[in-house]
Amino acid sequence: MAWQKQILRVNLSTGSCNVEPLNMEWAEAFLGSRGLASKYLYEEMDPAADALSAENKVIFATGPLTGTMASTGGRYTVVTKGALTGAIACSNSGGKFGGELKNAGYDMLIIEGESDKPVYLHIEDDKVEICDASDIWGKTVWETEDLLAKKYSDPLMRFAGIGQAGETLCRYACVVNDKHRAAGRSGVGAVMGSKKLKTIAVRGTRGVRAKNPKAFYDIVNAVNARMTDREEMARDGTLAMMDVTNGFGSLPTRNNRSVRFEGANKLNPEAMHTPNANGHTNIVTNGACFGCTIGCGRICKIDPTHFSVKDRPEYHGASGGLEYETAYALGAACGVDDIDAATFAGFICNEYGMDPISMGGTIAAAMELYDIGAIDDSVTGGIKLEFGSAEALCQIAELTGKGEGFGVDIAMGSKRLCEKYGHPDLSMTVKGQEFAAYDGRSMQGMGLAYATSNRGACHLRADPYGHDFETTDTPGKAKVVAESQRDVAFIDSSGLCLFPGGCGWGMDDYIELVNGACDGSWDSQQTGERIWNLEKLFNLKAGLGKKDDTLPKRILTEPADVGTGKGLVCKLDEMLPEYYQLNGWDAEGVPTEETLQRLNLN
Amino acid sequence: MDISVTLFGGLRHFLPAGSSFNKCSLPLAEGERLDALLAKLSIPPQKAYIVIINDVKVSREDYADITIHSDDEVVLLPPIKGG
Repeated sequence: MAWQKQILRVNLSTGSCNVEPLNMEWAEAFLGSRGLASKYLYEEMDPAADALSAENKVIFATGPLTGTMASTGGRYTVVTKGALTGAIACSNSGGKFGGELKNAGYDMLIIEGESDKPVYLHIEDDKVEICDASDIWGKTVWETEDLLAKKYSDPLMRFAGIGQAGETLCRYACVVNDKHRAAGRSGVGAVMGSKKLKTIAVRGTRGVRAKNPKAFYDIVNAVNARMTDREEMARDGTLAMMDVTNGFGSLPTRNNRSVRFEGANKLNPEAMHTPNANGHTNIVTNGACFGCTIGCGRICKIDPTHFSVKDRPEYHGASGGLEYETAYALGAACGVDDIDAATFAGFICNEYGMDPISMGGTIAAAMELYDIGAIDDSVTGGIKLEFGSAEALCQIAELTGKGEGFGVDIAMGSKRLCEKYGHPDLSMTVKGQEFAAYDGRSMQGMGLAYATSNRGACHLRADPYGHDFETTDTPGKAKVVAESQRDVAFIDSSGLCLFPGGCGWGMDDYIELVNGACDGSWDSQQTGERIWNLEKLFNLKAGLGKKDDTLPKRILTEPADVGTGKGLVCKLDEMLPEYYQLNGWDAEGVPTEETLQRLNLN
Repeated sequence: MDISVTLFGGLRHFLPAGSSFNKCSLPLAEGERLDALLAKLSIPPQKAYIVIINDVKVSREDYADITIHSDDEVVLLPPIKGG
């Protein structure tokens, strides 16, 4: 069995740190990571509680495959009630923190209560202590990690924490680990900030064992051999999608006013690999998370002569660069085609601890508010917040990270910002969470996936890509979305990454690995459906319902302007009833008693 | 006539030698069909990809019926996912 079979529970109100046995009955029903942590959260807190109150809990959860030799087995999930959405948040990250936490001997770390002063958590196997963080509160993610790494003098110690954005309760503050990997979405960092927990430092030496290591080793090798297209993925990373969506006409541009960006060729893999007029090349190398054999991460440098970093040598080094979602949010969404500016804004997100998708989406909404005259220079502090302005993007990003000036408004997120200035329809969000990099008009299945995502608009809660690139017709999409939501929930709960699914792995490969590590016979659809319904139950108790399974007016009423979906709006009303039916939910999107019984959730 | 073709992602492997980053120009006779153009690129038929001509997605069953014109913009996309 690849579970460690124990959890670490830390109560910040009382200062207690206790080790408990993992509930194996729940593990066998919900697997691990996203699914299992959601079960603990659902059972232990009132979903109606305020996300930023002491009643909320933050769970750092690994999966059974985390920390094993399986390729991409380094994932962990932060599960809590989201500060941005008020819905269940399960924010997944790679890097090396998850593997380290698992190697320290814990499947899960449950943080509860709240501290009255800044603290950090220090874990070295069974040594656990809550430490004073007064000297690192107010520091960036990068400064914090450097200071603690120096203090402990252990190059293998890993950190997951917040920057100033989390401290100031930016609604989309994230948890950053390894300096530039992040549990990015839904404001999990703000919840951590509300508990005055700055960071978690972890070092583990216990190892992770499958029940039959030799048999598992053989499975890992066999499955790895079925991985394809790794060279392309290592070279281009997720940014390869930029050309695909732009060519197809599904790249959200200027707050979804368009679905194609004329500047996409300045943000795509070619632009990243091609020296600029100064001879500077954006990408330095690719990077891999724990145990990964793909290495899709972008490690990049900003041109030191670029206005954003001129005379600021602290930004001249290599760090996490533009992934596809970041390039969309900090580029196309804002109409910015300056790769160095977008890279800089991305660095700021990593440094201060913010979700670049939500920050970019919120800045894009602010740019539209500025464009229509709903806000002006008196609101922005003199910043000319025009679509396409790389200077404005960089200025606003820093203000938001620091919680200063108009950045305080941007830190609210697009929904609250647009409501404040009288134009709620201009917020491109679902359940308060900003869109990812796909437009739901030319990709109808993605529109349904956004609308029904339990954590708000998200591209990683379903897998409608193949069907959407095949056809814009809606028949069949409800089934694709419903079934892929279950498969994705299963993968997220395993400790593996979704990305090998783009490199030749099918569900059979994932299941073979889980079976090998957990010595069982897992059904991804059944387990995934149970997890999906549990998340849904949490949201229903939190007060969300059918009214929240929808899309912004723009996507439902304004046709796509170009591309293969030209003239289309998202036909959500054609897909949603069938989707509910396929899930065994009633017309209001509530799981029926029969469904709950079938899934052992009653 | 020469047709401009753009290949994205891993499909760039099928560009003829000497091509730019992701574009090439292929000679095609007047009246030739899409399947002839694809054959010139030597992309295996089983390799999944999406063909878009002048912003319109082309169904796979129509490859043999669609005539390529000199001013057409042909784009081939790999159906990758995630991001």
